Order: sequence, then structure tokens, then C-alpha cells
Amino acid sequence: MVSLFAEVNVEALVMAAIILAITLGITFWASKKASSAVGFYAAGRQITGRQNGLAISGDYLSAASFLGIAGLIFLYGFDGFLYSIGFLVAFLTVMFLLAERMRNAGKYTIADVLSFRLNETPARAAAALGTFAVVTFYLIAQMVGAGVLIEKLVGINFSLAVILTGVFMLCYVIFGGMVATTWVQIVKAVLLMAGIFMMSVFVLAKVGFNPVELFNRADANKGPDSTFSLAPGTYLPKPLDTVSLGLALVLGTAGLPHILMRFFTVPNAKAARSSVVWAMFIIGFFYLLTTFIGFGARAFLGEGGVEAAGTGGNLAAPILAEFLGGGEGTFGGSLFLAFIAGVAFATILAVVAGLVLSASAAFSHDIWSSIVRKGKDSEHEEVLVARIAAFAIGVIAIIIAVIGGSGLNVSFMVGLAFAVAASANFPALLLALSWRRFNTTGAIVGVVTGVVSSIFLVIVSPKVWPGADTVTGSPIGWTLNNPGIISIPLGFLGCFLGTILSSGKPSEHSSYDELFVRAETGLGSERALEKVA
Amino acid sequence: MPDWERIERSDEFRELVKRRKSFVVPATIFFLAYYMGFILLAGYASDFMGESVYQGLTVGYCLALTQFLMVFVLGIWYLRKSENEFDPLADKVVEAAAEAEDARFVRKDEGTGVKA
Repeated sequence: MVSLFAEVNVEALVMAAIILAITLGITFWASKKASSAVGFYAAGRQITGRQNGLAISGDYLSAASFLGIAGLIFLYGFDGFLYSIGFLVAFLTVMFLLAERMRNAGKYTIADVLSFRLNETPARAAAALGTFAVVTFYLIAQMVGAGVLIEKLVGINFSLAVILTGVFMLCYVIFGGMVATTWVQIVKAVLLMAGIFMMSVFVLAKVGFNPVELFNRADANKGPDSTFSLAPGTYLPKPLDTVSLGLALVLGTAGLPHILMRFFTVPNAKAARSSVVWAMFIIGFFYLLTTFIGFGARAFLGEGGVEAAGTGGNLAAPILAEFLGGGEGTFGGSLFLAFIAGVAFATILAVVAGLVLSASAAFSHDIWSSIVRKGKDSEHEEVLVARIAAFAIGVIAIIIAVIGGSGLNVSFMVGLAFAVAASANFPALLLALSWRRFNTTGAIVGVVTGVVSSIFLVIVSPKVWPGADTVTGSPIGWTLNNPGIISIPLGFLGCFLGTILSSGKPSEHSSYDELFVRAETGLGSERALEKVA
Repeated sequence: MPDWERIERSDEFRELVKRRKSFVVPATIFFLAYYMGFILLAGYASDFMGESVYQGLTVGYCLALTQFLMVFVLGIWYLRKSENEFDPLADKVVEAAAEAEDARFVRKDEGTGVKA
């Protein structure tokens, strides 16, 4: 056991234990409400707009957002901030094009919207493919990130950290369904905002609450060979790559199944709309504060902190917290470090729980109940299958993360997830809701084109081919790391060509008129469970 | 079941769709253009973005702040516009449909904590 607990950070462990106790308490309370399908998948549609805004933030702001962006700003300066802008502006895409219409037209999964007026079996299969592709990359990225961070912050072994994360994630989802997942996300959002706000106040206090002074000091603190710059172009040196990434970020969020699924948890479209605006303000405030953390780490830790901050600068924020609390070895320093480590832990748990829940719903609701059992299964059976699917998905993710190990590149896999979401899920959903002629063939061709083209372009990208910082690294001479600029138009083109070149007719059980009227007015949309006092 | 086709052709519904579109379409074009403009500058004009406005405060950081501002303003604007304009129109469509269909499908409109 010595090797597993070599240098355990006791304060961080206690902090993690407190968070686990709170979240398991929530799960126990939620377990009674998660037995029906609408309870398990959609928390009875009783979540308010404000609660859902917090939960969306908790679902969205992964460890990659918190530690990753702070780390990128610390290492590269402005380019790290570009990610934040894309992640935030993306919510306008969600608000204007999907949120309310998804709530009005759907039930539990994005496939409900896609299959509304298309042939059910192939449309659900296509939507499930898109969901699984996104969740696989995103989930494995989060699990590996969790292992690396917990290993560093709490001091337990990588594999053990991954397994523990996986086990708790499964507890929330299997026993507490969407109710527990929602409240874990809300608790996490509050903790995360409190943590980053405290750190920002500490950072700004050191520069007399003058952010410009912070930028001055950060800029003064770059060494001669530093990658840090107040100007763009350090982390993303190729302009076209920057544009391609920007496009995938701004459209990708509108194709993330675990985020879109959150809109089914509110009573109506109005609450869906207000939840997006709440999320925008919370997430926007968060990303503004990450710049203080990133530039603060550069200003106070300087070039000397680069090595300690590790790959991608992920540990810059925790090390900065230790410094702000009084420095290494002081009580305040270890306490602040432990608090931020605990927040990072809660952050990871909330995101992976949301991901597993969306994938298990895609399996049980779309594949099992609708395709395999043709809707003849009982509600009890569907929820049971969802729990079993969650277990299987979780175990597979744990195994891949443990085998792939800490060498898997986390930000690369998150980028891939966004590219697939923007190229496969987003075009099909948008066109299903707004293009009268769109048909089943179009949906299938579009989703498959989006998934295949984005994965293919990443496989041949310079990132995957070592020694490829020159132009000739990729086997086909492909030089972009981010596939979005090609794969997103291809996804739309696939939907378009598939539709106009086929003679496919919409299915007979409902018309575009029905979907259109429902989506725009909420007439006939799924209702919330009555509140039980 | 409501007569979806008839509702889709009704004046109330057409009015709702027209009014909402006339806000959402330009707003979407605007925010995508403003965002992509920012990204293009970051990619192709890094020197300009790195220029100082005041000491360590760069053009890039200022433009980034305007992106935040745009998100907040459009978010609130759309919320207002929906509550004052689109929701009442949608209610009209639902009412008209309910009258025609014997009030079997009533839109649920409660529990949001947001007052119209």
C-alpha cells in the first residue's frame, strides 16, 4: 500500500471526503425520486430555470476549463483566453437555435427531437451514434484528467484515482439519476465559483485591485525563452487552426448531449430560456476570473513555476492557491491548496456524472426501448436498462482510462469531442427543427459524415504524428490540428445532399407541421410532474 | 390531437414565427460575425491584438471583453423580447388552438420563477 499512498496530502483528502459525503447524501435523498423514467432521465422536469442555469454551469465547466485554461493562460498568455471566449459565446448558439425548441419538441434525449418526424429506427440510431462518439471522447478525457490531477493533488496512485472517480460517478447516476446528477452539479458550481472568486480576490489584492498592474507584472515575469505573451499566436501559431478551433467551439456546445439533455429537466421552454441566460452569466463571470488566475500565476510564480505546473500548466491554479494562502509548508497554504484540490475533484465528478447519464439514456431510451423492444417494454424495464447501461459505460471508461494511462492527451480529446458535436449532432438537430424538406437519409448521411470526417481529420493531424511540427508530418500532408473548418461544413453538406438526393419521405406518425408548431409554441410538449410536497 | 396543419397556417402562428425570426436571424448572424471577426484577428493580426491600449492592457483583451459584453447584452435582450413579445404571441396561438380543439391541450406555464 506504500506505493499507492506515498505522499498523501491529508488536508486535500479530508476536503475530498467532505465533498463525497455531501454528494452521497444528495444521492440518497434523490434515490426515491429517480425510480420513474421522467424522474431518472429528467428529474421530473421540476428543476427551476435558475437551478438549471447553475447545473448547466456545473455540467459544462470541466477540470479542463478550470485548471486547463488557467494553465494555458499561465503558459501561453492570451491564446488560453481564446478558448474561454469560444466556450462562452457558444451559449448564444444554444439559446437562439436550440434550447427552447429542444425543450418543446423532446422528451429525454436528443434523438427524441431528431426522430420526431423522421423514420424512428434509423434516426434514433444516428442520434445515438453522435451521442456515443461525443461522450466517449469527452468521458475518457475527463477520467484521465481526473486521474492525473488527483494523483498530483491528493497523492494517490493514478489508477486508484481513476477507479475511485468512476465508482462515485456511477453511484450518483445509478442510484440518483438526473435528480442526484443535477444537485451534484449545482453544489459543484457553487463551490467552483466560490473557489475561483476567493482566489481572484487574493490575486487582485496583491496588485492593489488594478488588473492592468496584474498584466504588467505578468508580462514582466516571462523569461527569455518563455512561451507567454499578451498577444495571440503562441499556443495556436497557425491562423487557420485558430479559426478552425474557434468554429468548433462556438458550434460544438450546441451538439453536446449532456448539455442539451439538461433542457428536458425544466417545466417549460420559458424556464429553458432563463436557464441559458443564468448559465451565460455564471460561465461568463467564471471565465473572466480565470484570466486573473492565469495571469496571476504568471505574475507571482513566474518562469520558475513552469516546471511545477506540469503538462499543459494544469497545476498552476493549485500552486497559485498554495502561494496565496501563505506559501508551501504554511497552514494557510496547504489549506487553500486542499480547498482548490477539493473543488477540482467536485468539478470532475459533476461533469462525468452528466456524461454517463446522457450516454446511458441514449442506450436505454433510444437503442433498447425504441429500437430493440419497439416501445413494448415497461417503464420499469427501461430505467433498469439505463442503470445497467450506465454501469457498463462507466466500467468501460474506467478500463480505457487506466490502460491509456496518464499519457493520453486530455485537451486533444476534449477538442475532438467538440469537433464531433459541432459536425455531427449540431447540423442534424438544427435542420430537423428548421428545414421542412429534411429527411431520414439526410440525417443519417449528415451524422455519419460529421463523425467520420472529424475523427479522420484528427487521426491524420500533425498532433497524432510525432515529429510533425513541420508541414510533412501527416501521411496525407494534413497540417491542421483542429478539423472543424472542414468537418462542420461537411456535416451540413451531408445532411443537405442526403436529403435532396434521396426520395425519402418523412414518417407518417407526425408531420413537420406538428414538430414546427410544438417547437415554436410548446403546444403539446412534455409536462412536468406535479410537485409533491 | 390538435390540427397541426391548420395551426401552422393560422395568422397567429405565422405572426409569431415572423416576429421571432426577425430578431433571432439577424442576432445570430451578428454574433457569429462578431465572434468570427475576433477569431480572425486573433489568428491573422496577432501584432495588432498584442498592441497596448494602456500599459499591459492589450487590444486583444479589450476586444475579448466586448465579446463578454455582447453575450450578456444579447442574453438579456432576448429574454426581455421573449417575455414581452414572443410569449404573448405563443399564448395566442395556444388559445386559438384550444378554442378550436375543445381545450384539450393547454400549454403549461408555471413554476419558472420568471415573471412575464
